[in-house]
Amino acid sequence: MTGFLQVHAIEKRWDHDVTVGPISLDIARGEILALLGPSGSGKTTMLRLLAGFETADGGRIAVANEDATSLPPARRRFGMVFQHYALFPHLDVGENVGFGLDNSPDRDAKIAAALGLVDLAGFERRKVHELSGGQQQRVALARALAPEPRVLLLDEPLSNLDPALRERTRHELREVIKRVGITTVFVTHEQEEAFDLGDRIAVLNQGRLEQVGVPDELYEHPTNLFVATFVGRANVFRGKSARALGANGEGVLVVRPERLRFAQAGLPGIVRERRYIGAAAFFLVEADDHERFEVLAEPDAAKVGARVYVEATRVIAL
Amino acid sequence: MTRRLRRSDIAAAALTLLLGWLVIYPILTVGVDAAHPTALTAFFTRPGEWAALWASVWISLVSVILAAAIGVPLAFLFEWFDFPGRKTLGALIALPVVLPPLVGVIAFLFLYGESGFIARAIQSVLHLQNAPWRLQGAVAILLVHAYSMYVYFYLFTRAGLAKLDVSMLEAAQALGADRRATLWRVIVPLLRPSLVGAAMLTFMTALGSFSAPYIFGGGFRVMTTQIVATKLNGDLPLAMVETVALALVAVAGLVILRRTEGDDILVALGKGIAPRPRPIRRTSLRWLAAIAGWGLAVLLLLPHLTLGLVSLVPYGAWTTEILPPVINLENYRRLFSEAERLRPMWNSLWMAAASTAVAVALALAGGWLVVRRRVALRRAIEALLALPWALPGTVFAIALATTFSVHAPLQLRFVLVGTAVILPLAYLVRALPLTGRGILAAYRQLDPTLEEAAASLGAGRWRTLARVTLPQLRPGLAAGASLAFVAALGDIVASIVLYTYETRPVSIEILSSLRLAETGVAAAFGVVLMLVSAVVLGVGARR
Repeated sequence: MTGFLQVHAIEKRWDHDVTVGPISLDIARGEILALLGPSGSGKTTMLRLLAGFETADGGRIAVANEDATSLPPARRRFGMVFQHYALFPHLDVGENVGFGLDNSPDRDAKIAAALGLVDLAGFERRKVHELSGGQQQRVALARALAPEPRVLLLDEPLSNLDPALRERTRHELREVIKRVGITTVFVTHEQEEAFDLGDRIAVLNQGRLEQVGVPDELYEHPTNLFVATFVGRANVFRGKSARALGANGEGVLVVRPERLRFAQAGLPGIVRERRYIGAAAFFLVEADDHERFEVLAEPDAAKVGARVYVEATRVIAL
Repeated sequence: MTRRLRRSDIAAAALTLLLGWLVIYPILTVGVDAAHPTALTAFFTRPGEWAALWASVWISLVSVILAAAIGVPLAFLFEWFDFPGRKTLGALIALPVVLPPLVGVIAFLFLYGESGFIARAIQSVLHLQNAPWRLQGAVAILLVHAYSMYVYFYLFTRAGLAKLDVSMLEAAQALGADRRATLWRVIVPLLRPSLVGAAMLTFMTALGSFSAPYIFGGGFRVMTTQIVATKLNGDLPLAMVETVALALVAVAGLVILRRTEGDDILVALGKGIAPRPRPIRRTSLRWLAAIAGWGLAVLLLLPHLTLGLVSLVPYGAWTTEILPPVINLENYRRLFSEAERLRPMWNSLWMAAASTAVAVALALAGGWLVVRRRVALRRAIEALLALPWALPGTVFAIALATTFSVHAPLQLRFVLVGTAVILPLAYLVRALPLTGRGILAAYRQLDPTLEEAAASLGAGRWRTLARVTLPQLRPGLAAGASLAFVAALGDIVASIVLYTYETRPVSIEILSSLRLAETGVAAAFGVVLMLVSAVVLGVGARR
């Protein structure tokens, strides 16, 4: 099956040989894809290429088998929610949401429906600056969805909210997107957000696509060291330490902290620090080669200064 | 991207050429044409020329000192001390800066002039044969300059003081500095950029000042009046040499002052909390401050009130009495019913509106290319938009008169002098820095994602401009446009060189009314100019 939104070898060259791409992605109808990467990885450029704010230097973008590569943003029919929302300060909520709608008789009904979708029914006459951050975010979402775009693009949709609000908003956002059934691409630098909101995740680094997959796949079967260490916590072992944990080759061994446990034998080390997080604790262990690694275990599994042995229940060999 | 970039580069090149043709080309033409041996000889050998140039320089320098002497203490008084009426007065005493200079000058004439209100009163009380003084020459010019230009120092110093961080003053005191040491070692250095900015503005305004020396100068000539006199005598080559000399003085003055400006360290340190105005505790002192403040405000606004009174006195009715014996609206009736009096008003209005509209359009195009498209020519465009500010209006008037009185299409010179186009063109050149500054600053503050949001919602370029960009630029645009409109409406510097009888603006009509001793009509024109200016600026300043 070919995707609803197809990106084929898209490329953007900036000055001083900074290049994003070539990147190819296939996104199914109704799917939510997260673009995850550190700052400077090219994820925002990727989103702006999709929106049409940047013009590709190579490759093509197609929606429903229709070429959209050189369509200007105004004719692309891609809805976008900006990082700082970009609500028009001189217009009220209703006018913001209705901005992308034609002057048809059912315009007001469409505005009301879009606002109802984000749980802001009756907010039409409010001023934008009177709204809280969470409400502004929802108005921005309603405004992007009102013209019934083909694809929804979200630029760091939750980064402007305080942490307490973020998790709740994340679930509401996913719920609205799934109810509308719109194909969605969003950018984030937070792994938790990508896992929670995205159906699939594309990991970007230095302008290249490192891996695409569902969260479990990225976490359990990363294809390279960058993905292994960027997605989730990871201990990296090499050489003698790696062999002590069961590696048979010369390769690198990646082990998640929760896949390590204290045992009678295995990799020896000394507990240097204990970070208590309630249900469990992270133990920072220093091996004999002075490399440090983390073990997630019961809060009272070990004491600081104690000599311990560590074994792995599951390893990722790279 | 490449295709669109190329298009904006072509647009940038076109705008640069157009601005260059408007702003630089006439100046260069004058520079080249001024290299005329007889005119040069005349300029260098006649002592009157050197005297006028020197007069321009020293009048400007003394104007800066006088304006600072009034404006800076006022700023401290209003920013640091609280007394009844502080806010209202603080706004009122900034008023002279927004009114057309010519109106201020004739108002001054009607109040302090030899046949003015005060002289008349003294003459009548003391039963003098002649007027007690003659308001003429350098002293009169300096008086008018100080009276109208202290506002620059007042406003700039207040803005600088408002940006001062109170913790810096507290730090100085904690380090053992007494009040005097804090003032000289902390406050004054921090205010330096504001003070230098005000000094530059005052110097440039005084150097280019025309109405005051024209009306009060008598035999005392400064360069601006000298140039116009030479031009009216028909000696255009000499006028061009004088123009170049004045332009060089202006540029030299700017360069020297800019050197002393220093970096804007206040900006570098970020926003601080300005000290709150200290209420004056002692009741007697409070009253003293309030009375002094209100007295000052009346003193500063008195000329304009006099103007209003004079405008109500019909022709020939007021001879030797202290107060006018008759007061009615006859002058205004004549103003609005006589076709020959309505014409200058209509002329001023349409020419100011047309030049402002074009200046706004050019500044918008400039803002889009410089800020949004970041075209390669952005520095050139910005410099061209700002340049007319750096040269006195008389320089541009003579430059346009020279360049556009010759038919040479291949040199892009056309005969525009004598047509209805030349005055709006001159106003346009003078308006560019005002609209340019306002619109570029607003463009820089405009979040580019707002325009992207409009595009992603399906709005094309023009819809985005009309519904998102322009509403967002409105404050800066309205401020720039209203200043440009008011400047054009009250202009006399360019008008007196370039007007024809058919296109004469209000300022010229005021001068000819004065010449015919129709003071009432002149005052009525002044009041109308003042009111229209105040309304336009009020609308422009609304958020």
